[in-house]
Amino acid sequence: MRKGYIKFVFLLPAVMWVLFFTIYPLVDSLRLSFFTYRLGMGVGEFVGFKNYLDLFKSPDFWNACRVMFIYVVVAVSIEMGLGLGFAWVFSREIKGKAFFRTVFTSPLFTTGVAVGYLGVTIFHETGGPINYLLGFIGKQVPWLSSGSWAMVSIILLDVWRWTPFAFIILLAALQSVPEEMYEAASLDTSSELQIFRYISFPTILPAFTIALLLRLIEAFKQFGLIFSLTEGGPGRTTEIYCVLNYRTSIKYFDFGHGSAMAFLLLLVVMVIIIQFFGRMRKIYE
Amino acid sequence: MRKKWIIGLVGIVLLTGMVAASAYEMTPERKAWLATNPYKGVTVRVLTLKATVSQPLFILGRKWEKETGGKVEVVEVPLAAFHQKIFTDLITGMGEYDAFLTASWYYGDYFSAPEPYIISIEKFMRDPRFPQWDPKTVLPAMKKLLTWGGKWYGIPNDNDGQVLYYREDILKNPEYQRRFKAEFGYDLPIPPKTTKQFLDEAKFFNGWDWDKDGKADYGVSMHLKVGEQAMFHYASFAAPYVISPDNRYFWFNPENMDPLINSEGHVAAMEDIVKLSHYGPRAMLAWTLGEGWDLFLKGDAVFCFTWGDLGALAQDPKESRVRGKIGACPMPGRYKIYDPIKKIWRKYDKVIQVGNTTGGSWHLVISRYSKHPEATYDYAAFMAIKENAFWNFTRGWTGVDPGRTFAFLPPYGTASIQDYVEQGWDPHDVKPYTDAYYLDFTNPLQILYLRIPGGEEYWRALDFALGKAVSGELSPKEALDECYKDFVKITNRLGKERQLKLFRESVEYGG
Repeated sequence: MRKGYIKFVFLLPAVMWVLFFTIYPLVDSLRLSFFTYRLGMGVGEFVGFKNYLDLFKSPDFWNACRVMFIYVVVAVSIEMGLGLGFAWVFSREIKGKAFFRTVFTSPLFTTGVAVGYLGVTIFHETGGPINYLLGFIGKQVPWLSSGSWAMVSIILLDVWRWTPFAFIILLAALQSVPEEMYEAASLDTSSELQIFRYISFPTILPAFTIALLLRLIEAFKQFGLIFSLTEGGPGRTTEIYCVLNYRTSIKYFDFGHGSAMAFLLLLVVMVIIIQFFGRMRKIYE
Repeated sequence: MRKKWIIGLVGIVLLTGMVAASAYEMTPERKAWLATNPYKGVTVRVLTLKATVSQPLFILGRKWEKETGGKVEVVEVPLAAFHQKIFTDLITGMGEYDAFLTASWYYGDYFSAPEPYIISIEKFMRDPRFPQWDPKTVLPAMKKLLTWGGKWYGIPNDNDGQVLYYREDILKNPEYQRRFKAEFGYDLPIPPKTTKQFLDEAKFFNGWDWDKDGKADYGVSMHLKVGEQAMFHYASFAAPYVISPDNRYFWFNPENMDPLINSEGHVAAMEDIVKLSHYGPRAMLAWTLGEGWDLFLKGDAVFCFTWGDLGALAQDPKESRVRGKIGACPMPGRYKIYDPIKKIWRKYDKVIQVGNTTGGSWHLVISRYSKHPEATYDYAAFMAIKENAFWNFTRGWTGVDPGRTFAFLPPYGTASIQDYVEQGWDPHDVKPYTDAYYLDFTNPLQILYLRIPGGEEYWRALDFALGKAVSGELSPKEALDECYKDFVKITNRLGKERQLKLFRESVEYGG
């Protein structure tokens, strides 16, 4: 009996933590999304779905969605593609493999804000190293002063930071493919590409999907890198969803609209995850 | 570049921190008060933005600690998160800080609650136990920013306003003057008096090597990164497009709180500032304030319109190549001005220039939750006394700009060129600098300071509009139309009637 109780005692801190710091804020922010609420002016009137409808009417909201969509699709695709490519290369016997693997994974240990500030320096248009080097061939790129180039800068930094994540997972998956499968396949074909396409990739597909999902979830939450690199500018060209959400809630204390924004994002991410897992389940069933 | 700046600043801070400010005359009451060791065990906690303007809080704080036995703890936050940090502390009643180094445009928010979030300092000002700073040395335009409803709340520190700095040596070059006349058909004015002249001169000097250093130079230097302080450039520049002897309103119609920001005058100003942004490096769109100054200090831009820091920074021979070569003047004016309330363009016989106190005029205010309001005031007043204030004014890296009578030369004030020379200034640069600021602050036509709740949000909306216009994301008209909608949205969310009432109060609207 005592043993039965004690496990609950040990579980209690974790349960309290989840209740107070996850469940309660989640439920309360859902409630706030149906009210006008500005910090300092208290919870105002119940407005139903008005906060959500306001968002759909706001050009800034749609701009942030567009920026997020571009960033998520482009950055995550490149990261997964490069991660897979590097994992494939590193899964075979090459010289200095251990060294390169360590160097290659090091960006993972940085934070988004630090990478953003690093970007401010390396993409500096008049004093930065990249434009300095480009100067030798008579080129200058408006890395941060043009909306589209600012997006390129963000994606480049993000790819640098997150490709190792895909790489590590996919490398582990590739290394766990039984050697016998390759030996058997080599009797039928000598094409590396065919072996990859028909043996390696289908075998590591579950790991690939998990890596992709985790990257998608993380990418939808992108904030630190962009805020420290461009603050959403020039203009609002790189104002991604979470930056707009931060400004709405934390900067302007408009928790009603801010909560609605957060829930919309949650909804979108949930739909994507459910869709993904649904399709995966179908494949494996 | 930024790294170089920081290393330079730290070096200067360390070196000059040792000799910071001079002794001052204490009242007998203060001597007696300090003899009781009143601040033993007291720590004054100050929240400030992470910028040059916070440096004196540390340096003079050490001096104050030595004098009084109290302690000062300064917490720095980047500008982007500063406003929310202050108001989270105040609104939630956490009261973690005794004082805030505030921007003047936060005042509306301080007075948005039934009981103001900051306390009046009037009873302390009359108390001889505290360091005595003379309120008469504060110019009326600045006094307005430190008071609310006729009562003092802010302790004087920084005096922000934007003036136009120019390279006098370059503008005076006879060859360049001849070429300018050939191109534009009139004599090159030194300094430019109108916005048209300013644009012409910036255009003329952009894109070629006028200082013969082997690389192309620029007409103007600005900082235009979103989330920083670029919108102040627009306000200072646009003021004479809208403000005239017949209209003093720039932001809202005081009759109905309708935003004026997309009026024809504002749009014309936006079109011109977009043109102006083409007369400097494209990289300006991603620059923060320091980077904008750096280009001018390196000697690569003819013009820079900004705050008083630049004139003082130009005196540092390690960082500046323009020491002894600069001039300064109030912001250029106009003959043709739009009245956004009557919706008509008016022509004037003389150039109408408009003064501005644009910027933060960063100064300390005391939280109503302060546990040590006396010690906090003592510390803030210590920084406001003449000796410490003048020491701050004359050093660019302090971020504290001049604006009190003892900073100006006769006939406007009591300082002398020698006072500045003793602080390391080139005598050539002193008079145009101090005169420009005096004329700016005392101009009877001023752009009214935005001091209503949501001030930060209105400024940010303008910041986005400017960013979109200069980056070409939207046309100037479209950008300001969007800004208009944002202003309406902010006003409605905060309560139109309440905003109108506070706006009228803040501009002393008489109907």
